[in-house]
Amino acid sequence: MTGRTALATVRRWLRPPRTLRVTRAGRTYLVLTLGIGLGALNTGNNLLYLVLGIQLATIVASGILSELSLRGLQLRRLGVEAAHAGEPFVYRWGVSRRRGTSFALSFAEAHPALSGSATLALLRPGAEVVVRGLLTAPRRGPYPLDGVRVTTTFPLGLFSKGRLLEISGELLVYPRRVPAPAVVAPRPGGAGDRPAPRFRRDGDGDTAGVRPLRDGEDARRVHWLKSAHGGQLLRVERDAEEARTVTLRLDVFAPGPALEWGCEQVAARARALLAGGFDVGLEAGPEQLAPDHGPLHERRLLRALACAGLPRVEAR
Amino acid sequence: MTGRGSRRVRLALRDVGAAFAFVAMGLSGQVPRWTAALFALAFLLAILDVRPFARHVRESALVLLGFVTVLWLVVATGRMDLVVAACACAALLTAQRLLSEPTVAVDQQVSLAGLLMVSGGAALSADLFFLPCLVAYTVCTALALTMGEVDRAASPGAWPPAAPGLRAGAVLAAVAVVGGAAFFMLFPRLSWNLAARRSSLSFGSPVVGLGDRVRLGGSGELKSNPRIVFRAQLEPDPGVESLSAYWVAYRFDAFDGVEWHGQARPGRPVQRVTLGSGALPIVSQHIELLPAYGNRTAVALDRPVQFAAPTTHLPAYSVRTAFVALGDESVSLEGAGSGFGYHAYSVRESETRDLDEATRARRLELPPTLDPRIPALARELAAGATDPVLVARRLEARLQQRYGYTLELPGPVADPLADFLFQRRAGHCEDFATALALLLRTLGIPTRVVTGFYGGERAADVYVVRAGDAHAWVEVDVPGGVLRLDATPPQNRSATRATLLSWLLRAYESLEVQWLSGVVDYSLADQVAFLRGVGGLPGSGLRGALQAPAPRIVLPALAAAGALGALAWLVRRRRLDDAGRLGRSLHRMLRRRGLLGPDQWLEDLPHGPGTVPDAVRRAVARYLEARFGTRPLLPGERRSLLGTARGALLEVGAAAGVRA
Repeated sequence: MTGRTALATVRRWLRPPRTLRVTRAGRTYLVLTLGIGLGALNTGNNLLYLVLGIQLATIVASGILSELSLRGLQLRRLGVEAAHAGEPFVYRWGVSRRRGTSFALSFAEAHPALSGSATLALLRPGAEVVVRGLLTAPRRGPYPLDGVRVTTTFPLGLFSKGRLLEISGELLVYPRRVPAPAVVAPRPGGAGDRPAPRFRRDGDGDTAGVRPLRDGEDARRVHWLKSAHGGQLLRVERDAEEARTVTLRLDVFAPGPALEWGCEQVAARARALLAGGFDVGLEAGPEQLAPDHGPLHERRLLRALACAGLPRVEAR
Repeated sequence: MTGRGSRRVRLALRDVGAAFAFVAMGLSGQVPRWTAALFALAFLLAILDVRPFARHVRESALVLLGFVTVLWLVVATGRMDLVVAACACAALLTAQRLLSEPTVAVDQQVSLAGLLMVSGGAALSADLFFLPCLVAYTVCTALALTMGEVDRAASPGAWPPAAPGLRAGAVLAAVAVVGGAAFFMLFPRLSWNLAARRSSLSFGSPVVGLGDRVRLGGSGELKSNPRIVFRAQLEPDPGVESLSAYWVAYRFDAFDGVEWHGQARPGRPVQRVTLGSGALPIVSQHIELLPAYGNRTAVALDRPVQFAAPTTHLPAYSVRTAFVALGDESVSLEGAGSGFGYHAYSVRESETRDLDEATRARRLELPPTLDPRIPALARELAAGATDPVLVARRLEARLQQRYGYTLELPGPVADPLADFLFQRRAGHCEDFATALALLLRTLGIPTRVVTGFYGGERAADVYVVRAGDAHAWVEVDVPGGVLRLDATPPQNRSATRATLLSWLLRAYESLEVQWLSGVVDYSLADQVAFLRGVGGLPGSGLRGALQAPAPRIVLPALAAAGALGALAWLVRRRRLDDAGRLGRSLHRMLRRRGLLGPDQWLEDLPHGPGTVPDAVRRAVARYLEARFGTRPLLPGERRSLLGTARGALLEVGAAAGVRA
């Protein structure tokens, strides 16, 4: 066993299997129970003992039922479409259990920086239920996820009992969405004064050469004859093409706030350029993306910007 | 159940739970009536879903604050008990919350305020009805809060089904009640039960019947009154279902022609009254005079020799009081409580003492207006006998034989005794006793009339006596002792029986006795006896365990709990075995139609189109998934799958028939 594994084991052993928090109503209930108990002991009134007994048994029964609600849960992360820093995003979990019914469950990622949760009133056995919650992340970057905290206030709302379902994963949060700068791109035109058609993707002007087709590039730009000769897919490059290709640069060595600001600005500009029909590339320190377009490429850009300038954290 | 219906059910449960909590408190009869009226109004509005405080939170809080301030002032001026004022505050708080916006948080506040009221009820009363109110409050509150928590976790606008939450709430309530009972029995009682209330709930006003004088000619309505006026625990316990015992209250010497009355003067208050002594065995009695008795005269088995340990039960507590004896005619209790308790000791034969001349003369005194036919009748009935005992017995027997018993009397007459003996020739116990006493007096035998009760019915481990058991008889001083004679026909001495009300009252009394001995007065000694019985500690044994008071309740309860547990396990097992049942049904169905051979199971179902309908294949696949996979059948899915498969097979069969 390596030192790190042993440390993780010890940490897991030391972590309580359940957390228990007393709600406001629960505090009042406990104070009342204490008062009735003192009254019963002080006076010897058997009816007070009877009330006290029912109260204590209620607490025990509440603990048993909440435990039954939390036990046997099977959970998997379904993830998120896109998470941007500083704004709520929909996160989904798939929950199921084989036996028994769970009530009044609340789900939240155990990462301390992630806020927000999802609730589920009733979970019957057998079928998986997709739970959606609004989470918020304060900053961009990869969030290593250790587990999902499931809590319940069932059955009486006096106590909030929780358990941690240890499922490792990662959530990548894109830079905060800000308005795009006023001037974001060169004039979308080819060489000379000819206006470039907005939705033409195959370039313009004279052929400047060919190069291998990259993943995700438009197949209409393949030079089929040269490709047949060369034995691989080659695409045509034209004179006027570079004018609609923008490569954005990000100074990843800038100090923290400046780097964050830079990421947000670059992301906003990239989004605006892509929406304007440009191919957008990125140079962010060692991370370089060739100019391209499309939703997939936008996602690649945002992923690169989410991690730019940050040490890579491996998901546990 | 729709979402709206589920919400209504939750709120109704909450409101009814609060009402039960209020009743548990109000049973003591000490809560101010205006508080009860306000709470009743709030409850009525809440049940009708009218909540005027939902939009006036601040104003309603100010009104509540005003009420609390007034209550505090009343307590400060000493006009109200602090506990009662706290209970009234809890009731008002609950009423205010009932009429507020019904959120889940408000539900919790209502239940907590209800808990305050229940605690107040425990402090203020010891009534039997407290227990059902407490259990009902626990059940209703558990159900309401459970449903509320499920509703709170639901998405806005979505209403989850109520049934699973209700089931969980029922489990919670059952565990709470059973656990509470277990805690109650096992938690060691290390302090004296100083605050126990003993005042009982009284249904209606006290019975007016037995008094310090007996006036002839009255009607006999009391005889049909089934209300229980006192209960007595006897030591040694006779162990019979009904007693043929005389309970003495008053002894009368003087008769003026219409009315018997006493002549002794009251003594000073004392803690113990000794009326005489007698031969063993002594019967010890712990007697509780109930509010229905309406009198403060102590009763005891004939013949009482001593009264001791008098206690009066006030609404808030019980205190020691005193006896006041009127010679040997009667013993009354001091105090203004609604009930009394004391010990009495009686013997069968009291010590004989010669009567002094004054007493003898008093017991031979005849009224000046005595009908001259009465001495002649006495001589006739005596039939020449001279021995006082023989004469007395003969007169007693003759009256029983020749006169009838009736409660329908014409009302006041000038000479009720002559009317009974020579006109109507029928009467009730007072007529018989008076006639016997005066007939004997005319023959020179000293007598006096005694009133009290006759009988006693078993209820739990005590005997209860009803108002209708009121009776009158005669004591005759004969050489060598005192003779008790009863001229009333034996079948007419006790109360009129066999009405539903009398049965109900006896059952209630039996329950209350068990409640008082098993709950209100439960002590460390009872706990030790219980543990000895259950644990089989040295010296107890199985017989002792079965005879101990607690196991007599606990063992059947444990047996019932075990039976319920077994039933629940069987039901659960049956539900878990849904997949197996689906497989067996499908197998049977396919074999009957020749689609499976005798040694084939569902996995051997022939492949290929056309042989087996798709619905059957889907059902088989679902069975395999549920039986060996990780997706158990949903509730009702088995029946649905079987129905579809059966329908598909029938269609195939019909099509084959058409083709043929």
